[in-house]
Amino acid sequence: MNKISQNNIIQNIQKYTPIILLFISVLNEFDFNNLGLIYFSFNFSYILIFYYSLKKSESLGYVYIFIAGLFNDVIVGTPIGISSLMYLILCGAAAYLRNITLRPSLIKDSIFFLITILIINSLLFMFLNFVFNYELNYFDQIINITYTFLLYFLFANLFDFLEKNILGNGHAG
Amino acid sequence: METSRDDFVIALRSAFLKKGTQQRFSLLSLIFFSIIFLILGSFNFKIINYVKIGINEIVYRSSFIVSVPENFLKGSYLTIQNHKELYKENKKNITELNYLRGKDLSQKINKLENIKYKKLIDDYFIGENETVAKVLIDKQSPFLRSIIINKGSKNNIKLGMVVLDEGYLIGKIVEVNFFTSRVLLISDINSKIPVSLQPGDIQAIMSGKDKQEGVLQYVRGKNLSEINEEIQVLTSGAGGLFKSGIPIGEIDVDEGLEIDEDKVVNFHRDFSQLKYVKVVSFSKEKNILDLSSKNNSETLNEEIKEKNQQQETLRILIEQKKIADEIRVKIQKENNFLRNERIRLKKESKFLTNESVRLKNEILITKNNNKNKIEDDEIEFLKKNLYHGHKCRKNFINNLYKVGTPEYRKCVLKKGLKK
Repeated sequence: MNKISQNNIIQNIQKYTPIILLFISVLNEFDFNNLGLIYFSFNFSYILIFYYSLKKSESLGYVYIFIAGLFNDVIVGTPIGISSLMYLILCGAAAYLRNITLRPSLIKDSIFFLITILIINSLLFMFLNFVFNYELNYFDQIINITYTFLLYFLFANLFDFLEKNILGNGHAG
Repeated sequence: METSRDDFVIALRSAFLKKGTQQRFSLLSLIFFSIIFLILGSFNFKIINYVKIGINEIVYRSSFIVSVPENFLKGSYLTIQNHKELYKENKKNITELNYLRGKDLSQKINKLENIKYKKLIDDYFIGENETVAKVLIDKQSPFLRSIIINKGSKNNIKLGMVVLDEGYLIGKIVEVNFFTSRVLLISDINSKIPVSLQPGDIQAIMSGKDKQEGVLQYVRGKNLSEINEEIQVLTSGAGGLFKSGIPIGEIDVDEGLEIDEDKVVNFHRDFSQLKYVKVVSFSKEKNILDLSSKNNSETLNEEIKEKNQQQETLRILIEQKKIADEIRVKIQKENNFLRNERIRLKKESKFLTNESVRLKNEILITKNNNKNKIEDDEIEFLKKNLYHGHKCRKNFINNLYKVGTPEYRKCVLKKGLKK
């Protein structure tokens, strides 16, 4: 009985690892998006959401992503709902890519990811700048997009490894 | 064309409208939901504000919990950094402490020696009567600079006693009443004090000039500009009025120090700010050669000796440390050299082993070649012997060569030809 309950706990942890990661990345004081470095910042949440929506859509529920977005807005101080919207658009793009892809490849995924984050960041910039009168720096946005794109390769491999070897889900990717 | 558009629509519809397993809302509905949130939020809608406050409550608490490991790491890193810095600082402090201990010891020795020599020349004064007094009236007249203090003959104040402010000379008692006394400040023009200028040990008389200044008289044509340091003015003790060595003021090097110019002394104390002063009389130590003074002198000598020994020990320890450090560095260098030498010799030995193997192989090859050559020669000889042996063999008709002799062999190899 004890063994069964232990197994259940482990299974639950395995199942909810992506969600836990997403909430940690959102709630943590250590924000990759705002490290205080001039030429380095990236959006870990974008990478995580895109990867898991593409490869293992059942791990991240849309509602959780929506709530994570709300949390992010409260922490960062942006208008409530905007991060949720961006996260959900990213999910939609990933779902579309999943539907049209027959033979998945990392390069194609990353190019699609680049296009998506370019669109998302443009939307975010337009919303914040023109609707809510927030001041944003073009250069910082470009740096953020570039590093998010470049680090997608690293994190995609890392998540693959995590799924295959640690969480034991061989069918990921 | 039509088919590809259909595919696009199907894919889009599937992405945005299809609810996955365990999904309660479709993506599109959530997108609409967030847009509604955004719009209502921009209008400061009440419900949205409540949601915001609620999320804030959750976020701030959970953020604290989530950040615990990270904060722990950060804290550990900072602690390690602090320890590292503390270690460095400690090392530096120890070195400084050793240096200062040595300095302190030598200062103590100097002091004790100074007392000893002063006693020898009968110039050692001890504070006999110390009275702290309050300044009652500070009469700042330009003609007579003096103050009245609240102690008089009732408190054993006598004429000529020295008045100090925190150890600096400010004047002397010139008038004593029962409850009060008058102090003539050294800034008064009538005050003439025998002073000594250090460095250089130049004797002079200082008289008052202004509120904060005195002027040197009778410097006897000494050129003070030759001294490049700040000149300290102390009482010289000449005339027996004051004890020697009480600080008075200093002379700036930048000021005119030429022979004909007035030398201005800047007093250490501000005479307009006096509140409490100390009235002191000094008397010479009774230098009778009784048993106690002898003991005292012996104790002093012992003390000096002990301090000297301590200093010597400290010096030796520092020297030893220096030597040990040098030896350590030397050994380290030697060690490095030997390590390099070992590596070099290892390489050389490897090279020599290879060389020897190569030479062995070469010798073997040469030997084999030689053997083959001999065998070839032998075969050739035997072949020729078959054909031409009879031309060289000795018999009863001819007088040729005996079989087996070198001449026979030569003859056979020449095919029996004589030339």
